[in-house]
Amino acid sequence: MLRIVSTVSRPSSTGRLGKVVGSQHSRRTFASTSAKQADITLTVDGKEVTVPQGSALIQACEAAGATIPRFCYHERLAIAGNCRMCLVEVERSPKPVASCAMPAMPGSKVWTNTPLVHEAREGVMEFLLANHPLDCPVCDQAGECDLQDQAMRYGSDRTRFHEITGKRAVENKDLGPLVKTSMNRCIQCTRCVRFANEVAGVEELGTTGRGNDLQIGMYVEKTMDSELSGNVVDLCPVGALTSKPYAFQARPWELKNTESIDVMDALGSNIRVDSRGVQVMRIQPRTNDDVNEEWISDKTRFAYDGLRFQRLTTPLVKEGDRFVSASWEDALAAIAKGLTASGAQGDEIQAISGHLADTEAMVALKDLVNRLGSDNLALDQVGGTAPPVHGVDVRSNYLFNSTIPGVEEADAILLIGTNPRHEAAVLNSRIRKSWLHTGLEVGLIGERIDTTYGYDYLGGDANALSEFMTGKSEFAKKFKAAKKPLIIVGSAVAEHPDAAATYNALSRYVELNKSTLVTPEWNGFSILQRVASRPAAYEIGFVPSKKASTTKPKFVYLLNADEVDPKSIPQDAFVVYQGHHGDLGAQLADVCLPAAAYTEKSTTWVNTEGRSQLGRSAVPPPGASREDWKIIRALSEVVGSPLPYEDVLEIRDRMWEISPTLVRYDVTEPTSAEVALAGLKALSVRTTGAKISGAIFQKPITNFYQTDPISRASVTMAQCTRSFVKGENYGFSDIGKAPEAAFA
Amino acid sequence: MSILQAWRQAATSSVGPIRGSYTAFDRGLTTKSTSNSPKELSDIAAPAQPTRDVMVADVISGAPSQLRHRAVRVYQPTRNTMQCGQAKGDRWRIDFDILQGGGRWENPLMGWASSADYMQGTRMSFRSKEDAIHFAEKQGWDYYVQQSTVKRIPPKNYAENYLYRPGTLRIMKTK
Ligand code: SF4
Ligand code: FES
Repeated sequence: MLRIVSTVSRPSSTGRLGKVVGSQHSRRTFASTSAKQADITLTVDGKEVTVPQGSALIQACEAAGATIPRFCYHERLAIAGNCRMCLVEVERSPKPVASCAMPAMPGSKVWTNTPLVHEAREGVMEFLLANHPLDCPVCDQAGECDLQDQAMRYGSDRTRFHEITGKRAVENKDLGPLVKTSMNRCIQCTRCVRFANEVAGVEELGTTGRGNDLQIGMYVEKTMDSELSGNVVDLCPVGALTSKPYAFQARPWELKNTESIDVMDALGSNIRVDSRGVQVMRIQPRTNDDVNEEWISDKTRFAYDGLRFQRLTTPLVKEGDRFVSASWEDALAAIAKGLTASGAQGDEIQAISGHLADTEAMVALKDLVNRLGSDNLALDQVGGTAPPVHGVDVRSNYLFNSTIPGVEEADAILLIGTNPRHEAAVLNSRIRKSWLHTGLEVGLIGERIDTTYGYDYLGGDANALSEFMTGKSEFAKKFKAAKKPLIIVGSAVAEHPDAAATYNALSRYVELNKSTLVTPEWNGFSILQRVASRPAAYEIGFVPSKKASTTKPKFVYLLNADEVDPKSIPQDAFVVYQGHHGDLGAQLADVCLPAAAYTEKSTTWVNTEGRSQLGRSAVPPPGASREDWKIIRALSEVVGSPLPYEDVLEIRDRMWEISPTLVRYDVTEPTSAEVALAGLKALSVRTTGAKISGAIFQKPITNFYQTDPISRASVTMAQCTRSFVKGENYGFSDIGKAPEAAFA
Repeated sequence: MSILQAWRQAATSSVGPIRGSYTAFDRGLTTKSTSNSPKELSDIAAPAQPTRDVMVADVISGAPSQLRHRAVRVYQPTRNTMQCGQAKGDRWRIDFDILQGGGRWENPLMGWASSADYMQGTRMSFRSKEDAIHFAEKQGWDYYVQQSTVKRIPPKNYAENYLYRPGTLRIMKTK
C-alpha cells in the first residue's frame, strides 16, 4: 500500500535552512574550559543551542525546544536505545539516527520535523502497533498513555499486518499486590527493567527471549519485592504495568490534581494527590531533584486507601466504657471539665505529639500547654518523655545536614543504627545510585539489614563504633581517606539505651576529623529522621524540660500519638486524643477529637533536612472533623486561655517568631561549620562519661508497610504485609488456573 | 506570610480613592503594593514583586466580596510522571484552596460530589509567574507563590552502559 504523505501536516524545513548557514563561527574551543564542563554548540531545526559536552542528542533537541517522541529514553535511567521512536535527521547522515543513543556533536545540524523523520517514526509506530492490543477502552493507562498520544500523530488508521496467528500473546506476570500486569500491551521499552536494575536494586526483573518473543518477567515465580516497585507503573509508557489498587477506579481526566507533601516518612517527598469528589483516588510523585527526584515509596503511593477506613468523624466522649458521639461544644466542655476535675497543675499537664502531627498544630499545642503553666511536652517515641540526648538548641544536631542531593557527593558513608531502605526508601535509591556510579563505600553499624547495595559490616553495637574510631579496620581507613565522608545516624539511635555514649563518641570523632567532616562546603554528620513530624517538633522545641519529664501527668493530650505505650499513661489521668484515625491512641482516650489527615489540610511539614514545605488540602475532611490547629485554638478558648492567633496567617507569623526557617518554604538553611561544631562540642560535654551497655542497635521499622495509623488502616498495605513481609501467597499467583476475566 | 496582610491593607486603603473618582479609571486608580511592604518582608520567602502598577479590578468586577478572604496558590504544575511530554510544562497556574467544611460533600441521593464552592473548578493558566501574580493582585486575592521544583538532569550518554569500573561488579544488568 502506498501511503500518501500529506504536506499540510508536515512542515518542511527548507524554509529554515537559510538561517542555519553561518552558525559555525560561534563554536567554542574545548581547550579554553575544563574538560568536564566544556559546552558544545549545534543547530537544531535552525536554532542554535549550547549543551554540555557528552549530552545525548535528544537533550540538545529538548534544549532547543523541539519535542522528540520517545518510549525507552528516560531522563533518570540509563539509555537503552531500543524503541527507535526518537529518530531525527542529521546532516550528512544517510539514515535517520536515534537521538537518545547518539551523542550531540559540535556543529552538527539536526532536523526534528522533516518528512523523512515523520516517515521514519511512522514506520516505527506501525511496527509497535502491529502487536499492541486495541485495549484503550479497558486500559487504565488510556488518557495518559504515551503510545496513545503518539499514535494520534504518527499512527496509521488501518493496519497492513494480517497475520493468521493474530497478535502476539504474552502471559501476565504476578508482581504482587501493587503492580498489575497486562503483558500483551508491553512494547519492550525495558524501562521497568532498567529501573529495577539501577534504582530499586531488584535484579530479578529482566528480559527473556529476543525480538518478537522478548518478554519481561521475574524469571521464576516471584513477586517484585521492593519498596519502590510502584514507580514502574509511572515509567511504563503503555498500560502493561498499571496500579492494582487503582485498577478501573478512575480516569485521569476526572481527577483533580493537588500538589502536596507526603508524610509517610521524614523525606517530605513531593506528591500530587489526585482526587475525585471527596475521595483521594491515587497519589503520584512530583519531580523534584532536591528531594525525591521522580520516585516515591510504595507506602506513599498506595497507603491512601487507609484514609477511607477507621476515620474519626465526630467528637466522641467516653461514658462508662463506651464512646458516645457528641457535638463539638460538648466535647470541648468535657475536656475543660476533665482538666479541672483531674486537678492537673503545671507540669502535670502533658502533651504528646505523634508521627503525623503537623507543624501548625504542634505550635498551637505547645503554646496552649505553656500557657497552662506546663513544660511537659513529650514525643511519641521510646523515651520521648525525656529531653532528647542530642538536644534541640542547635539544628545541625538533629537534621540531615548533608542534604538529600548531597548524599550523591559522598564518597564513603557510615550508617549507624539505621535502615534507610525502610526509613527513607527514596534516599536509599540515591545511595544505590551513587554506589553504582561512583566508587562509594558503605559501612554499617547496627542490626544487619538487606540494603540494595553492598556494605562492610562493622558490628552491631556501640562497641563497634569505638572500634571504628580507632581506625584499624579496612573501612575505617577508607573513611579516613575519603574527601567527603558522610555519617548517617538513624533516629532510633537517640531512643537506644546507649544513645548518650554513641552521640558522645560521634561528636568526638567529628571534632577530630573536622577537616573532612565539617567544612564550610560539606557537613558529613547527618541524622536521618524517620517520622514526618519529628524535625518540626525539635525545631519548635516540642520537648520536655528536665523537671517536667519526671512529673507524673494527670492530664494527657495525645496529638496524633498512636505509638504510645498504654502503660506509660497513668490510670487516673484524663486523656484527650486528637487525630484522624481510630487507632491505638483513640482507644486510650476519654475524649476523641476528629481532625484532618494530611490530604485534607494545608499545613507545613519539615523534612529531615530541615526543609519546610507547604502541603495542600485536596479533599475536605470527613464528617465533623476539623483542621488540627483550629481545634486547639477552639479548645484554648474553652479552657480559658485563648491563643493569640485567629487565622492561618497569624499562626504562621507566630511560627516565624519561633523560627523563621519554618515559613521559608522549599529551601534548606545550612548550619555554618562553626555553629555545627559548637553544637557537637556542647553535646560531647553533656554526655561525657556515658557507659556503653553493648545492646545491639535494633532497626526501628520491622514492617515497612505499616508504620502509622493511615497505613495500618489500608487494605493495600495489609496485602503487602502478607505477601512481602510474611511471604504468604495471597491468591494472585495462580494465574494459569483462574478464569482469564479475573485479570482483564 | 505577612506579605498577604500587608497587601490586604494596601488594597483596602486604595479602595477609598477609587470610589470617589470613577471617571479617571485607567492609570490614576493604581495602588503600588511594593511601596508599603513591611520590613520583615525580605526575610520571608517572598516572591519577586512585580514592578507594574496594579489596577484593582475587583471593585467593579462584581465579584463577591467573600472571594477576598480566600487564598489562591500560584504555582507551576509539574509534569505528570505517567507521561513524558513536556508541552504546557512552563505555564503557571492559579487555583483556589478548597473550603474546609462546606466545600464538598457526598450527595445522599446519588453519592456524587456536591459543592457549595463556586470557585472549586476554576483554574487559570498564565505564561509567567509575574502574569499570574499580577492577575491575583488585580483581583485582590491573597496569594501564595510556590517555588517551582528543581530539575537537574546530568548529560546522558549511551556509552556509559559500557564503562569499565574497577573493583567488584556492582550491577547485574538483566536487560
Ligand atoms: S512492561 Fe512497560 S515499562 Fe516494561 S518493557 Fe514493557 S512497556 Fe516497557
Ligand atoms: S527513545 Fe531513543 S530509541 Fe527509544
